[in-house]
Amino acid sequence: MADLEIINLHVRTEDREILKGVNLNIDKGEIHALMGPNGSGKSTLANTLLGHPSYEVTEGKVVFKGEDITEAEAHERAKAGLFLAFQYPVSIPGVSVANFLRMAINAKQDEPIKVKEFGVKLQHAIDLLDVDRAFTSRHLNDGFSGGEKKRAEILQMAMLSPDVAILDETDSGLDIDALRTVAEGVQRLHDEQGLGALIITHYQRILHYVKPQFVHILMDGRIVLEGGVELVERLEREGYDQIRQEFGGSGELAA
Amino acid sequence: MSAASNGAQPNPPSGSSEQIVVKPGRHREASLYHALAGAGAGDGRTLAELREAALSAFARSELPVWRRSGFWTTSFAELDEALLATREQPGEDWKAVSREHPRGAGVPDFVRDAIPDRDRAGRIVQLDSSIVHVELDPKLAERGVILCSLEDAAREHEELFAKWYSKRLTIDRHKLEAANAAFWSGGAFLYVPDGLLVEDPFEIVYAIGGPGVAQYGRTLVIGGRSSDFRVHEHNLAADFGDASETTGGDTYGGEQAQSLHAGAFEMYLQDNARCRLAQVQDWSLPRSRHDGGHAGQVFDASTRFVGVGRDAYCHWLPALLGGHLVRHHLELAVSEPGGDMAFRGLFFTEAEEHLDTFAVDLHETGPSGGDVHWRGAATGSSRASFEGLIQIDPGAQKTHTYLQIHTLMLSPKARLDAIPSVLVSADDVSASHGGTVGELDEASIFYMASRGLDRPSAVRLLVEGFFEPLLGQLEDEPLEELVRTKIAAKLAAARDDIEAYATAR
Repeated sequence: MADLEIINLHVRTEDREILKGVNLNIDKGEIHALMGPNGSGKSTLANTLLGHPSYEVTEGKVVFKGEDITEAEAHERAKAGLFLAFQYPVSIPGVSVANFLRMAINAKQDEPIKVKEFGVKLQHAIDLLDVDRAFTSRHLNDGFSGGEKKRAEILQMAMLSPDVAILDETDSGLDIDALRTVAEGVQRLHDEQGLGALIITHYQRILHYVKPQFVHILMDGRIVLEGGVELVERLEREGYDQIRQEFGGSGELAA
Repeated sequence: MSAASNGAQPNPPSGSSEQIVVKPGRHREASLYHALAGAGAGDGRTLAELREAALSAFARSELPVWRRSGFWTTSFAELDEALLATREQPGEDWKAVSREHPRGAGVPDFVRDAIPDRDRAGRIVQLDSSIVHVELDPKLAERGVILCSLEDAAREHEELFAKWYSKRLTIDRHKLEAANAAFWSGGAFLYVPDGLLVEDPFEIVYAIGGPGVAQYGRTLVIGGRSSDFRVHEHNLAADFGDASETTGGDTYGGEQAQSLHAGAFEMYLQDNARCRLAQVQDWSLPRSRHDGGHAGQVFDASTRFVGVGRDAYCHWLPALLGGHLVRHHLELAVSEPGGDMAFRGLFFTEAEEHLDTFAVDLHETGPSGGDVHWRGAATGSSRASFEGLIQIDPGAQKTHTYLQIHTLMLSPKARLDAIPSVLVSADDVSASHGGTVGELDEASIFYMASRGLDRPSAVRLLVEGFFEPLLGQLEDEPLEELVRTKIAAKLAAARDDIEAYATAR
């Protein structure tokens, strides 16, 4: 039994079915890449896994550490050890990064974190992500550049030590330096903390810095192809169109 | 929710900012809400003469109604007139219905509980109609600081009193203003002499002990040349549920559920003086403090005027946090060249409260600077109305000022209106305004939930974050903490309401 089991997941939003039976297992310590063209349902999967209220699960379930969390609220999933790095992190004016981190950590545990322990943890995360100390006193994502927002996501991930993190197109729009920092951060959290990760991406670039053990290709709401890192290379050579042709054209895919 | 600008042009949509391009001779029509913008009642008359003039204004006027056509009406008609004054026979003079306490009665427990202990330069506490406590750092007294009741100041500091009392405040615009000027008792007087720098705040407290009280609070503050000081005013009321018990051998209210604070505040900063003025007003405190508390119906109609002299500076931040029916006229005037000001304010209404705030950023001469920034939120079926007026008088050239007002709606039944208006009569100035109207952002709440914060915590963080740009500017930790705690209590009290609002959307 994997830590995160996604079983025959069907999801709709408003009146459109987006995920049409996704199956995926992720264990702590494993790095998975989920790739797919625009509109294939990648972000829907990410948001559904964290319990976004706009997405309705019509069939199937999500099991985390043996518990069915299909109906759980977002904050309960986070407390259980799931994390989502957002594609477009929202800004929270008036709340500093450090304050927010402290509140998020305290939400997960019974006793508030000690000032010193928090300081040590924060310093470690700062070093890991190559950000300025002053960064943590800025208001969360408020006026941040694209790269800073993504670093702030990984900083939060490092501080909250989830068992499984979903990274929703964290690499999109990043310059190479930011991309490298973010990717190395994920890799080190994997190596140091045994993080399990589902890296959702449209491009292959980030996978030059983080090596996934498993690669899944999502098209039109279903995973159509799975394999190891060799799939990334194939995708680089052939593109999504080739794979789409092979697995049933651009419209409805064969089961 | 709505927002509109004065005059013909509609207000720009939320999130935008409008630059007023001023052309010579162009004069935007002012609203029904007028700045005082002129001489006060003082004008050489003695206190007795002023009281008499006010009394006749009181006798001939009705309870006030402020109306902003299409937006709101603030009517004091439901206020029980018997509270205000009494007379034995028709035709005789009206007398105040005062509730007196012995001098030296000390700080009431409910005040002690509500306002954190801290270092203070001095403190004066009025309970109902009487000053019950005055303290002043003896070192400051030695250096010429005066902190006493306004009654005492009228007798003991005649010259200062005569020069400044009601210098810019009127006494007859409406019945409650006239009542204050005619009947005020106790009152606070603070004089900070030239060149004196005082770090700790002077604290002025107006407290209402129970129902059936008409408190006519009157404050006069004078900052001497190059003085530098802080003033904190607190307004609060006891739990009206407890008030049927005797207090000092006397019972409150009986059948009455209402009390009134009609306040008049004036502060004059002379050349190069600097003051940070903050006010925490929360007449409905018992409700937000604990369930089952009995917030009384406190009506509050107050006028506050701050005059900024040559090269002087005032940072003024009222936090208006509760009252059954509240009407505030707040006017910050730069009266001499080089004056500068930061006019900040926050309000947060709840339950059935009605708040009407008129904030004036007045420039009588230039060069001068202004920066007005208000933020307000509303829960329950409360009503918060804000009008901010920038007025630049003829000759106030080289004035640069900006007004912004941001509102946050937390309940479907609440109503928030914010109207910025601009009245410019000089041609070499810049005056602009902007603002936003907002609701809780569900994307932000989901973001925080994905980090483990439950909905109430996320909402609290968002609302605190909304007020944060102002809270930080209090530059005073105990006061910041006090306001934060009150905001948190209001959110906790409105939790179901906020939840229902989210679902409804």
